[in-house]
Amino acid sequence: MRLSISHDTTYHYENQVRASIQYLRLTPHDSERQRVLNWQLKLPRPVRAQLDPYGNILHVLTIDEPHESIVIGASGQVEIDEQHEAEHENQSALPFLRFTRLTTADAALREFAQQHCKKRRDRSALIDLMHGLHSHISYLTGSTAVETSAAEAFAGQQGVCQDHAHAFLACARSLGIPARYVSGYLLTDSSDHLASHAWAEAWLEGAWYSFDVTNCLAKPERHLKLAIGRDYLDACPVRGMRRGGGTEQMHALVEVSPLLQVQHQ
Amino acid sequence: MVRTFYNEMYQANGECRPHYQAFARWLAETPKELLAQRRREADLLFHRAGITFTLYGDEQGTERLIPFDTIPRSIPASEWRMVERGCIQRVQALNMFLADLYHEQRIIKAGIIPAEQVLANEGYQIAMQGLNLHRDLYAHIAGVDLVRDGDGSYYVLEDNLRTPSGVSYMLEDRKMMMRLFPELFAAQRIAPINHYPNLLLETLKTSSPLDNPNVVVLTPGRFNSAYFEHAFLSREMGVELVEGADLFVRDDKVYMRTTAGAKQVDVIYRRLDDDFLDPLAFNPDSMLGVPGLLSAYRSGHVVLANAIGTGVADDKSTYPYVTEMIRFYLDEEPVLKNVPTWQCSKPADLSHVLANLGELVVKETQGSGGYGMLVGPAASKAEIEDFRARLIAKPEAYIAQPTLCLSTCPTFVETGIAPRHIDLRPFVLSGREVRLVPGGLTRVALREGSLVVNSSQGGGTKDTWVVED
Repeated sequence: MRLSISHDTTYHYENQVRASIQYLRLTPHDSERQRVLNWQLKLPRPVRAQLDPYGNILHVLTIDEPHESIVIGASGQVEIDEQHEAEHENQSALPFLRFTRLTTADAALREFAQQHCKKRRDRSALIDLMHGLHSHISYLTGSTAVETSAAEAFAGQQGVCQDHAHAFLACARSLGIPARYVSGYLLTDSSDHLASHAWAEAWLEGAWYSFDVTNCLAKPERHLKLAIGRDYLDACPVRGMRRGGGTEQMHALVEVSPLLQVQHQ
Repeated sequence: MVRTFYNEMYQANGECRPHYQAFARWLAETPKELLAQRRREADLLFHRAGITFTLYGDEQGTERLIPFDTIPRSIPASEWRMVERGCIQRVQALNMFLADLYHEQRIIKAGIIPAEQVLANEGYQIAMQGLNLHRDLYAHIAGVDLVRDGDGSYYVLEDNLRTPSGVSYMLEDRKMMMRLFPELFAAQRIAPINHYPNLLLETLKTSSPLDNPNVVVLTPGRFNSAYFEHAFLSREMGVELVEGADLFVRDDKVYMRTTAGAKQVDVIYRRLDDDFLDPLAFNPDSMLGVPGLLSAYRSGHVVLANAIGTGVADDKSTYPYVTEMIRFYLDEEPVLKNVPTWQCSKPADLSHVLANLGELVVKETQGSGGYGMLVGPAASKAEIEDFRARLIAKPEAYIAQPTLCLSTCPTFVETGIAPRHIDLRPFVLSGREVRLVPGGLTRVALREGSLVVNSSQGGGTKDTWVVED
């Protein structure tokens, strides 16, 4: 399947910002599952791409002239291999065993993971866990914030895709299974889920397998991967800081659509 | 259990050791009132010089004077040469370990250290994977904590490869002794140490491939317990002392704000933990770091000393493997001994530890500063039971060691002169070569019987002499 993505983010500031810096992870790269056909990043000034610690394509945008808004545009087309489920990797998965502040498993999460998986450490166990978390944490837009931890969302029984992914990571790691956070795009039929999406991957038998708690999907079909990390903070599309500016208004417009195929092959 | 301690000054038969004889004679001949007066002078001078230390656990954040004892710790030069060789060997192996760990991981493939032990360790930084550093150096500045057991043999208690502190006390203690008792330095040959700031600056400069790099000292600020040292070292080296807010990143380069405009920074001697360096890559709440610093570092435009991710090598759960590292990377026998260590993450070790809590020292693998530590023989029943519960709940967070009979050194106390336990932290600088100034920082546990020498726990310091024997 070919997906066409257009993702525009606009920041408006109450006052002039004296200087700002953003880590942008808005460029997908080729993998076993996806092939980037073309991709453009529109930034206020040209920025060299680099790889971040997780191998994600990173742009560091620094602006040190006064500004009142920043517009970031990402768009392109990516071909997804729907049949391909797992992704292989040369780097050791062990660093993804470690808890982070957002993914620490408290007693409740540990017990939940234990109940759903017992002694099993395979894909079917994690699929059960995914279903369990999906029922336990209801999807509710605005119910949590970016700094909400897995334990907090689990206790509150509400959250968004980020919380679903974090809770899954906390549980999987508590079982001794390396797991990582994925940020990306999702082609969705309904309008209640954002096209910007987050899910989890777990390391099973030498490959990374996807677990989308929000959609109860263990097979990534319409998922386009942007970046991975130990949690949201490592992988989020935009992480920035600024001096001055007062309050901020952010507008994001994401459109993911299937690309009409001009038949070939 | 009878515990015999190695006394640095006296032999078991009460005779003074040869390298202390000149000092002992002087001590016997000098009137007590004069000594007392000199000690008062030292207190006053240290107050004026502003050598203070913010005590953790003190809610007011009160600055305390670190007690300074005027009886030096003395090491014969022949013995020091062995200690020096051992420290150099150890730090070389640790740097090679870090370079290996973040690249080929030969030591894991060779089965010497378990992969999970290091790769899932808190101190392991994914950001360092595959990153090439100038001279393959990670710990440019290391502190090796040494103690002596009952028979006088030296043991490494721990390695400090993150931001080891205390060198300013080493230097100030010497200055003070020379000022108070110049006659002692005329009477015998005591190896000088005042060139440390020069060696440090040289080390920092050679950490960069540039000819004359711009070096700065990055401090968390004046509320940090070691702020005095940060200011002291930058002044002694003649380089800028900066806080995170004084630096900024533009297009992968780091700049310092100055009255004359932005000036590029090439080497950052950072006294800030990894987690606080860059709020966009690590702890987002850090107000102390520099946004964008990690991207600049990974682009190779700035050197951090020490490098990010050294914590995996000085973690107490990695410590038991250091002697094997020395054999693996250097093909040498370790000069300095490791203390036998039980890793509570291993079930067999854990049950041994739980059965012998009253005799062991239990430490947190990630702890520093002497907190989160149980000294079995000195602990109450309640403290032991508290640790038992903690060990059972989170065994992987602890290691245990036999309680060492730390050596003692005569020390001025309220009742006169009495033996108190001491340790030694030599500072090891790695640049073009690996070097130390003779001696190091001697810390003394001022409470009778106490084995905890950390300044944050009320320990004091002594001048450390290496004397020709």
